[in-house]
Amino acid sequence: MDNMQFDLLTLLPEMVVLAMAMFILLLDLFILPQNRFIIYGLSQFTLFAAAFFTFKTHTPAVGFAFNHMFIDDTLADVIKLMMYLGTSLIFVYTRKYLQDRNLYRGEFYAMVLFGLLGMMIMVSGHSMLTIYMGLELLSLCLYSLVAFDRDNKQASEAAMKYFVLGALASGMLLYGMSMLYGMTGSLDVADIANSIMQHQGKSPVMIMGLVFVVAGIAFKFGAVPFQMWVPDVYQGAPTPMTLIIGSVPKLAAYAMTVRLLVQGLHPLAQDWQDMMLLMAVLSIVIGNFSAIVQTNLKRMLAYSTISHVGFIMFGFMSANANGFASSFFYISTYVLMSIAGFGIILLLSRQGFEAEQIDDLKGLNQKNPWIAFLMLIIMFSMAGIPPTVGFYAKFTVLQAAWQAGFTWAVVSAVLMAVIGAFYYLNIVRKMYFDAPVGSQVAITAPMDMRFILSVHALGLLGLGLFPESLLGVCGRSLLMSLQ
Amino acid sequence: MMFTDVVFYVLAAILLLSGLRVITTRNPVHAALFLVLAFFTAAGIWLLLQAEFLAIALILVYVGAVMVLFLFVVMMLDINIDKLREGFWEYLPMAGTIGLLMIVEMGMVLAEKNLRPSQAVTLPPNYSNTAELGKVLYTDYLLPFELASVVLLVAMIAAIVLTLRDRKDSKSMNPADQVKVKRNDRLRIISMPAEVEPEHVAPEEEK
Amino acid sequence: MLENYFPILMFILVGLGVGLGPLVLGKIVSPHRPDAEKNSPYECGFEAFEDARMKFDVRYYLVAILFILFDLEIAFLFPWAVVIQEIGAAGFWAMMVFLFVLVVGFIFEWMKGALEWD
Repeated sequence: MDNMQFDLLTLLPEMVVLAMAMFILLLDLFILPQNRFIIYGLSQFTLFAAAFFTFKTHTPAVGFAFNHMFIDDTLADVIKLMMYLGTSLIFVYTRKYLQDRNLYRGEFYAMVLFGLLGMMIMVSGHSMLTIYMGLELLSLCLYSLVAFDRDNKQASEAAMKYFVLGALASGMLLYGMSMLYGMTGSLDVADIANSIMQHQGKSPVMIMGLVFVVAGIAFKFGAVPFQMWVPDVYQGAPTPMTLIIGSVPKLAAYAMTVRLLVQGLHPLAQDWQDMMLLMAVLSIVIGNFSAIVQTNLKRMLAYSTISHVGFIMFGFMSANANGFASSFFYISTYVLMSIAGFGIILLLSRQGFEAEQIDDLKGLNQKNPWIAFLMLIIMFSMAGIPPTVGFYAKFTVLQAAWQAGFTWAVVSAVLMAVIGAFYYLNIVRKMYFDAPVGSQVAITAPMDMRFILSVHALGLLGLGLFPESLLGVCGRSLLMSLQ
Repeated sequence: MMFTDVVFYVLAAILLLSGLRVITTRNPVHAALFLVLAFFTAAGIWLLLQAEFLAIALILVYVGAVMVLFLFVVMMLDINIDKLREGFWEYLPMAGTIGLLMIVEMGMVLAEKNLRPSQAVTLPPNYSNTAELGKVLYTDYLLPFELASVVLLVAMIAAIVLTLRDRKDSKSMNPADQVKVKRNDRLRIISMPAEVEPEHVAPEEEK
Repeated sequence: MLENYFPILMFILVGLGVGLGPLVLGKIVSPHRPDAEKNSPYECGFEAFEDARMKFDVRYYLVAILFILFDLEIAFLFPWAVVIQEIGAAGFWAMMVFLFVLVVGFIFEWMKGALEWD
């Protein structure tokens, strides 16, 4: 522990986020409610400062800290930068909604920042213990954020379901980790891989540990057969909290999967490949078919999330660098799409009105053509229709799986994607060809939110026209970490 | 080592029985108390393994604090347990089959050669579990240790955000505020012209 | 090491004996002639109105959970105190950071009024 000073420098972005989260928490106690914009500004500043330090301290070399418990590689830095961007967008889009419903409180921002800290630790965890602590920090913040609007009965019920099932998943993950620790004698991800390689033979206990770890990961992702919580929690939680659960934590779940399965348990890849295959195909089938019959927009997006998670699993299923990179590309575009999608719901809702029903979008083109157009882009992107980025995401994932030889799985995924396009296009049809219901009400969202959401949605189109840059970043950062 | 073996089997028997009672007893308060007994005997078993610190922590934290919280929650919810038990037996065939399957699977995985007793470790005479734990906890495992404090902080914030309410009906008062009160806060002196008794009241205005 | 705990085991056994002995003795020795009237719950001459258990205020829960959190904090202090000579300045400051984070929580709950009953 003699190089403590160097250790701390590696964790600079984490320390900035932690210090600012605590500062914001305490500052909120001394601030008048009408001055709360200071809290909002400080939160955005925190993200900017963390991004600055992440960028500044970035080196191509892999750095370790705290006795190899913490790893600072290019993959971690890239994912962290995406997380700052996603969280910043979340703050912009949720502000109005929170103000309208008396939820605009300092604790919200402190909680989101603590959750972000947990995700950053997960991304940089190089020991099963660190990853688990990060995951718990994140989960605890998410549970309480779902219940944040405590007079809302639906939200409390969603929080309860989320908490009980999430705690069960954490328990399974921990159980699996303890078995792996027992068999390999180490918590360190690299040591586990070495230990399994040296002993060659796979013991049944190790496979059982692997099963529990994969189950825990699948639970956090929301992949079939561990998807039960997703629709209820997405629908029941207040829309800003759904936006938070459904977006940035998926990046952290991706990083956790890379650390545990790819870096730690790669010698067992043959075993988890099969599990991934099953979960991927089932998620796409069940997610897409269930989404068709939904009338609630948030619930529909929940089922669509399950199918997207299936595509992410497709990349892992290939179990090669190409596949992992395509998964990374998919998840980063998915996070952008889902933030934009829920952003539109937040934009359309106002005091006393939640635009959660699909029928609320009827005739949106006549009421507000610009927002209808943005929603059109987002829906096209989620469905994977060519000029948008969603198409390239699906394409790269399926290409990787095809090259790895999963022919029938790819064929079924393409079929399901066509079925999935139905419910996304159904929304487009309702927006453009149905008569509007209800009276015309002006959108009350502030200018900055409308402007950023417009840029964001157009960005999905732009990324679709020029996907190489993001694709290249994903591929390169992953290769630099995996060699 | 005969005597410690006897103690172990007695403690293990009590532990298993109280664990069984936790899920079979009808009254939730009794279930919580059986859980306390289970924790207590588990602490005894840890003590037999010379894990002193963990044993004391189990009693201090779980028996002393967590179970008190459990009892509060059980009493707060005021559950009618008989209503919850309705249909309990309907699920038994299904649940029993799945449970049996899982036991068989676990047995198949674990049974062969994995369940051998491990080599007994001989500990040095002045071995202290607490000191050994401290030596790694604050050096090698420093990062998870500090993260634990953040997790505790988040738990604290969450508990307050979710349960603390301003009570409208509260009649408590703050003595400091009462002492600080100035005359001007309570009494307002306004100057107004002296009122003269009107002599003639116009009939229209009377209305 | 385990020999040190033998007196405690004895103490527990004796304590159990003293506690259970009179109960068992009372059960065996005392006369026991129950009837329906004797067994019915008595409430000032009326039939019992309701369940004896009543709902607790949620505030007990808040106090209990805050107690648990600080109890855990104390639990971390014991091994630290035992080895403080060996882990040096880094170990000392590690605990100070730990305590600082929890003091932030303490300030928060104090200012929020979570420690006040009314």
